Amino acid sequence: MTETRLYPGSGKGERTSFAPYSAFDIPADLRRLHGRFDVEAVALRVRNWRYAEEWTMMILGGWVATVPELPVKTGLGKIIWDGAVAADTLGKRLPELRCGTRVGQQGSQPANQGFASFIQEISAPERPDQTIEKLTGVFDVLKPHLIRVYEKFNSETDQICDAPTIELLEDIVRKTRKHVAWGHTILSELCKSNAERDRRAARIAQLTAQLAGCGGVTGEEAMVSH
Amino acid sequence: MKRFIHFDELARDSRFVRQDSAANNLLAMLPDDVDTVVDVIEKFDPIIEASVRGTAAEPLYEEYGPAFQLVVINEPILAGDPKLTERLQMRVHGILVGEMQALEGAARSLWDFPDAPWEFKMNMARQAWDEARHVQIQEKLLQHVGGEIGMYPESTFLFEAACSEDPAMRVAGVNRGLEGLACDVFRDMMRYGVAARDETMTQAMDFVLADEITHVRFGSEWVKEFTRNDPEHFARTQDFRREVDRRFSLGGARSASPDAAIQIAVQDRLDAGFTKEEIDEIATLSAGGPSKDTLQKALVILRERHEARKAQASAGQSGAE
Repeated sequence: MTETRLYPGSGKGERTSFAPYSAFDIPADLRRLHGRFDVEAVALRVRNWRYAEEWTMMILGGWVATVPELPVKTGLGKIIWDGAVAADTLGKRLPELRCGTRVGQQGSQPANQGFASFIQEISAPERPDQTIEKLTGVFDVLKPHLIRVYEKFNSETDQICDAPTIELLEDIVRKTRKHVAWGHTILSELCKSNAERDRRAARIAQLTAQLAGCGGVTGEEAMVSH
Repeated sequence: MKRFIHFDELARDSRFVRQDSAANNLLAMLPDDVDTVVDVIEKFDPIIEASVRGTAAEPLYEEYGPAFQLVVINEPILAGDPKLTERLQMRVHGILVGEMQALEGAARSLWDFPDAPWEFKMNMARQAWDEARHVQIQEKLLQHVGGEIGMYPESTFLFEAACSEDPAMRVAGVNRGLEGLACDVFRDMMRYGVAARDETMTQAMDFVLADEITHVRFGSEWVKEFTRNDPEHFARTQDFRREVDRRFSLGGARSASPDAAIQIAVQDRLDAGFTKEEIDEIATLSAGGPSKDTLQKALVILRERHEARKAQASAGQSGAE
C-alpha cells in the first residue's frame, strides 16, 4: 500500500496531502464540483449585474456637469471608465454562457421593475446642492451592495466550471472597493455638520429600504442592513 | 435626471467666476473692419468690465480697455515676451476650463443618449476619464506657471457651441470641433515648451495631445456611423461642425496665418481623421474674421477711448471733491 505523503511542512491532520501523480507530486485539488447555479442562472445574474454597472456609469456621467466640486467632477471620470469596463466585461461573458446570440453582446436586464425603479431613484437628484444625495446613493448603498452580491456569488458558484465569472468579478470587486473608499472620503468631507450627516443617513435609509423591497440587483438577495 | 442641460446649468465651485459668453461669441463673428470691431466691442464694454471684476484680468482691462482679450488671445506665446506670465496663465486657465467643459460634454453624452450603441458609450466613458485627467493635469500646470483656479473668468461658450441634442452633431461639435481646437492649442503649447525648455510643460502637453487625437478619431468615426445612409443628416452635421469651427477660430487667433497665436495642427488633425479638404476649410473659415492688422488698429482706438474715459471719470471725481 502506498503511504500518503504529506506536503512539506504540514501535519497528518491536514487534508493537503500529495497524491502520487505521474512523474510529479502535486497537491490534491480540494475544490468540489457542483455550485449553486447552472449556466442559465449565471447568465441571468450577469445580465442583472450588467444592468446595474451600465446604469451607474451613465448616471455618474450625467452628474459630472451638475456637481460643483471640482475634485468630485474629476474623481468621477475614472469611476465612469471602470464602470464601462465592468459592464463591457460582463457583456462579453454572456456569449460564453450561451446567452450572446439571444440578447446581443450588451444584454443588460433589470431583475425586476422594482430594481429598475431603484436605479431611477438613484439618478433622481440633479441640483448642484445635492452632491451628498447623489454620492450617497451610489457609494453608500448601490456599490457596497454589489460588492456583497459579487462576493457571495463567488463563494457559491462552481469554482472550476464557472471560474471565468469568478475571475472577472474579482477584478470588478477590487476596483469597486476603491470607488467606495473614494466616495466615503468625499462624503466625510461633505458631511461635516449634523444636518449634512442627517441628509446622508436619511438617503441611506430610504434607498436601503427600496433595495431590500425589490430583492437587490438579482431580485433574490437576502439584504444586509447598512 | 433630465436629458440635456442648458450651459447655464454647468455647476462650479466657489472659486470659479462665470463670464457672459456673448463677448466670446462676438469675437468669432466680427468682420474685417476696424470701425465695426471698435463699435461692437465698445457696446459690450459693460459686460466685459463686469466679468473681469475681481479677477486677474482686471488689471489687463484697466490697462487695455475692453479689447484686452485681443492682446492676450490673439498674440502668440513667446519666451521672453514681457507679458509672458499673464499670457501663459490666461492660456492654461482657458485650457483648464475648456477641458472641464469637454469632460462635461463627453460625460453628458452617456446620459443624454441612453440608446446609443455600446461602443459609443465605451468611447465616451473613456473620454470622460481622459478629460478628467486633463483637468487635473492643467490644474498642476496652472500652478507650474504661478496661477490658480478662478484667477480668470470662465466663459462656457465651448459647451454652448458644441453640445447639440443630436448625437452626430454632439460628436461633431465636441469631438471634432472642440477637441480639434485642443489639438491646435496643445501643439502650440508644445512649441512653446520646447522653445522655453520647459520639459514639464512639453511632456504633459505631449500626452494630452495624444489623448485628444484619439478623441477626434472617436468623433470622426461616430459622425460617419450616426449619419450612415443619410447624406442629408451628414450634410447638416458638417454645417454644424463648420459653425463650431468658425466660432472656435476665436476671431482669427486660431488660423493658418503665419503670425497666428495658434496654428492649425495639420498633421495631428490628419492623424485624427480630418480630411485635407476639412482642414483647408477650417483655414478658410478662420481667415474670414478680422485680420491681425485690423485688430491691432481697433485695439489702439479702444485703448485711447478707454484712457479718455478714465481721465474724464478721474477729473469728474476731482471736481466733485
